[in-house]
Amino acid sequence: MNVPIIDPLQGDFPEVIEEYLEHGIMKCIAFNRRGTLLAAGCSDGSCVIWDFETRGIAKELRDNDCVAPITSVCWSKYGHHILVSATDKSLTLWDVVNGEKITRTTLQQTTLHARLHPNSSTPSVCLACPLSSAPIIVNLNTGSTTVLPVSVSEAGAGTVLPSRNKFSDGSPPFTPTAACFSKNGDLIYVGNSKGEILIIDYKNIQVHGMVPVSGAAVIKNIVFSRNGRYLLTNSNDRTIRVYENLLPLKDGARALSELYSTMDELQGVDKLKAVGSKCLVFFREFQDSVTRIHWKAPCFSGDGEWVVGASASKGEHKIYIWDRAGHLVKILDGPKEALTDLAWHPVHPIVVSVSFSGVVYIWAKDYTENWSAFAPDFKELEENEEYVEREDEFDLMPETEKVKESDINEDEEVDIMTVEKDSSFSDSDISVEELCFLPAIPCPDVPEQQDKYIGSSSKLVDSNHSGSPLSEEGAQNGQVTNPASSPVEAIDNSIAEDTGAARLKRKRKPSEKGLELQAEKGKKPKPLGKVKSSGKSSKSKNKSAVGQDNGVSVSANGATD
Amino acid sequence: MASGGGNQPPPSPPYRPYRLVRTLTAHTRAVSCVKFSNDGSLLASSSLDKTLIVWCSQTLNPLSRLIGHSEGVSDLAWSSDSHYICSASDDRTLRIWDARTGDCVKTLRGHSGFVFCVNFNPQSNLIVSGSFDETIRVWDVKTGRCVHVIQAHSEPVTSVHFNRDGSIIVSGSHDGNCKIWDADTGTCLKTLIDDKVPAVSFAKFSPNGKFILVATLDDTLKLWNYSAGRFLKIYTGHVNRVYCITSTFSVTNGKYIVSGSEDKCVYLWDLQGKNMVQKLEGHTDTVISVTCHPTENKIASAGLDKDRTIKIWVQDT
Repeated sequence: MNVPIIDPLQGDFPEVIEEYLEHGIMKCIAFNRRGTLLAAGCSDGSCVIWDFETRGIAKELRDNDCVAPITSVCWSKYGHHILVSATDKSLTLWDVVNGEKITRTTLQQTTLHARLHPNSSTPSVCLACPLSSAPIIVNLNTGSTTVLPVSVSEAGAGTVLPSRNKFSDGSPPFTPTAACFSKNGDLIYVGNSKGEILIIDYKNIQVHGMVPVSGAAVIKNIVFSRNGRYLLTNSNDRTIRVYENLLPLKDGARALSELYSTMDELQGVDKLKAVGSKCLVFFREFQDSVTRIHWKAPCFSGDGEWVVGASASKGEHKIYIWDRAGHLVKILDGPKEALTDLAWHPVHPIVVSVSFSGVVYIWAKDYTENWSAFAPDFKELEENEEYVEREDEFDLMPETEKVKESDINEDEEVDIMTVEKDSSFSDSDISVEELCFLPAIPCPDVPEQQDKYIGSSSKLVDSNHSGSPLSEEGAQNGQVTNPASSPVEAIDNSIAEDTGAARLKRKRKPSEKGLELQAEKGKKPKPLGKVKSSGKSSKSKNKSAVGQDNGVSVSANGATD
Repeated sequence: MASGGGNQPPPSPPYRPYRLVRTLTAHTRAVSCVKFSNDGSLLASSSLDKTLIVWCSQTLNPLSRLIGHSEGVSDLAWSSDSHYICSASDDRTLRIWDARTGDCVKTLRGHSGFVFCVNFNPQSNLIVSGSFDETIRVWDVKTGRCVHVIQAHSEPVTSVHFNRDGSIIVSGSHDGNCKIWDADTGTCLKTLIDDKVPAVSFAKFSPNGKFILVATLDDTLKLWNYSAGRFLKIYTGHVNRVYCITSTFSVTNGKYIVSGSEDKCVYLWDLQGKNMVQKLEGHTDTVISVTCHPTENKIASAGLDKDRTIKIWVQDT
C-alpha cells in the first residue's frame, strides 16, 4: 500500500478479534500473495475462497470425487492456482479463475503440508511433506515423485531414534520431517527428526549444507519469512528458533554449490556443517519458559518484523507475538478451543486463526480514530512541546496573513498519471498478470420470497441429512451450513439469504464476555442468531420488506460503532 | 545533458478545439449524470425522469433503458469490467444493473435519505454511496450487504470516490468538509477542508491517486495534494454556486481539467497552466455532468431541466 496518509505505525500487531468467518468446518487457511483473497480448506473436501476485503465468499472449489478433509492449502505465486492436500492421500491442483480441477495425484501417504514451487506462474511441481516419512517433490503433471534425503549421517539413516525424540505422550516415534522452499525455489530446506536443517539443491537433490539446531529435537515446522531473509524452526523442545539466511536471494543455489566446492579440505558431515554455517546463522529463540507449551503453526509477519506462534495445547486458543529481537509483545486470547491453523496477512497487521470448530477468526488492531484527522491543520504531538511566542504574536498585524498564501508554488508541474511502484511487492514479475481479486458478480435479488419457501422447503426436508443441496444454498452467501441441521433451520437458510448480514458480524472491541458469547455460538447449533432475524422476514410478504430488514439489522450494527 | 536550459518543457502542440458532433435527446427530465464505461464502448446517462439509458459510444444509439427506480436518479457508476452500472436515486435505494441486458440485478437498501452519489472501487467488489442522510455507506457488491456505515458529515454528502487501489475514500459535503476515510475500517484518516463555507460540491481522485480535484460552490476548482494537505492549482472562470457539478480529468491528448458550469457551458483548463483553453457552448441550461472517453478525445456533457440533452464533443484531428 503506498498511501502516505495511512499511519505508518500500522506495521504493528493485531490485538482483538475483529470478525469471524463461518462456512462449514474450515481446517486450514492460506492468503494469496497480496492478501486480498483467503483460501480455506474444509472438512468436506471443498476449498472456499474468501474475498478478504468484503469478508464474503468469492468462490468455492468443490469436487464430488474428493470429500476427505483438507490438510493444507497453498496458492501459486500469482494466484492463478491452488494446491490442496487431503486425508485421502491426494493432491489436487485447481484453477482459481474458472474453478476447475486441473489435475489430481494420489500418493502413498496423506500429505500434511503441500507447497507449490514458488517461482513459476504455472506451477506443476510441489513439495509434499507426508505424515510420517521423508518429504517428496511431486510433479503434478506426470505424477512422478522424488524422495528427499532426510539424513546425512552414515550410521543408521532414519532407523532407531534416541528416546528423547519421542513425543511427549509416549506414542511410538515416527519421522515427521518439515520442509520448505527457499524464496526463489532453487533450494529446499528440510528439518529432520534429529534436529538438523538440511539445505538441498533442488536441481540435483543433493544435500549441500547442514545446520544442527541446538537441542537436537524433532523439527516440526520450518518456515521462511516473506522476504526470504529469515527462517524459523519449531522444534519438539518447545522452542521456536529464528535463523538469518546468509545466502543471496536470487542465486542461492549457485552460491551454495560454490561454497560446497570450495570447502575441499573437509569431508562428509563436517563439510556439510561448515557450508551450513555459512548459509544460516542462529538469530533468536522464543519459548515460554513458564508454561512450557508446545508451539503450532508458527510464522512471520508480512514484513518479517514479528514472529507469531500458537499454543498447541488443546482447549486454549492462544497466539503469542514476539518482535524479532525476542521480546514477547502480545498474547492473543481467543475462545476456548484448540487452534488448527494460523496465518499472518502479507501486508496488514492482521492475523487469521482457525479454531477447532472450523470458525476462522480475524484479529486486527484495535482502531482508535486519530484525532488529528478531523481538522486539516491539526498535528498530533508525541509529547508536550514548548512553544515560545514571537515578540509580535499578539499585535494586530494583518500583513502576516498574506505571506502564507504565496508559499504555494502554483507553477510547479503536477503529475497526475504516474503510479509509484509498491515496494513491498518489488519481486513482482510484470510479465505475469497477478490475480488479485475474483470478479464480484452480484447475486440477483430473489424476486418472490413466498413461492420459494414452499418449493424449497419440501426439497430440503427430503434431503435432510445429505450435505450437498444445503451447502449449495448456503454457499452462495457464505451461510453456515450444518449438515445435521433440522428442516426448520434449513428453511431459515433460504429465507435469510438477504439478511445474511446477521451471520458475518463485525465487532470492534469485544469484551471477554463478547468472546465467550462467540465461543458459545460456535458450539451450539447455529439457529439462535438466525431464527431471530429470519423470524422477521418470514412475516414479510414482499421483497421491499425483506430489504428493510436488511437495513434495520445493518443500521443496528452500525449504531454500535 | 546540456546545462541549465533543459528545464523548459518542449512546446506543446497547438490546442485543437472540441466541437459538437451530436446531441442526444431521450430523457424527459433533467439529465443528472453521464459516464463513459471503462472500456469506452458504452455511455450511460441518468435522469430525474427515474430512468437510465445505456448508449453505444460509437454509434450513439440508445441500447437500453433501465427502468425500476421510483424517484429520480442522481448519479451512476460503472464497474471496472464495464458489465454493471450502479445508480443512486431519490427513492433512497441504489440499484445494480447488468449493462448488457438492462436488468436490475440488485437493490441496495439502507439509506434513510436521498442517495446522491455512488462509485465502485477499482476491484469492483465494493460500492460506496453518499446520501442526504449525511452518511456514507460501503456495500458488498456480491451479496448487497452494507459493510460500513460511516457517520461522515453534518449535511448531505455530495460526492464519494475510491482511490486507485481502493484503500481510501474521499467524500465531500454541503457542510464544507472534504474528508478521507480508510475503506477497510471506515475510520477518518484526514480532513482536507473544514471551512463551513463554501460547500464542497464534488471531490475525485486523480488517475494516480495522489491528488484530489475538489469543486466548491464559490466558482472554484482546486487540485489538492492530500498527503501534504495543500492545494497546488486553482481553476476559475466558470460559475458554480448552486449545483453539484461533476468535473473530470482529460488525459487522452494532453492534460486538462473539464467541468460543467451554471452558465450553460463546458469549461476546459490546461492542468498545469490553469488557463482556460476552451469554452464549449450549446447547452440551454446548467451543464451538470461531464465525462471523458478513456481512449478517444471525446467528451460527453449533460444539461439540466431546460435542456435535457446529452451533447457529444470531439476534438478535431
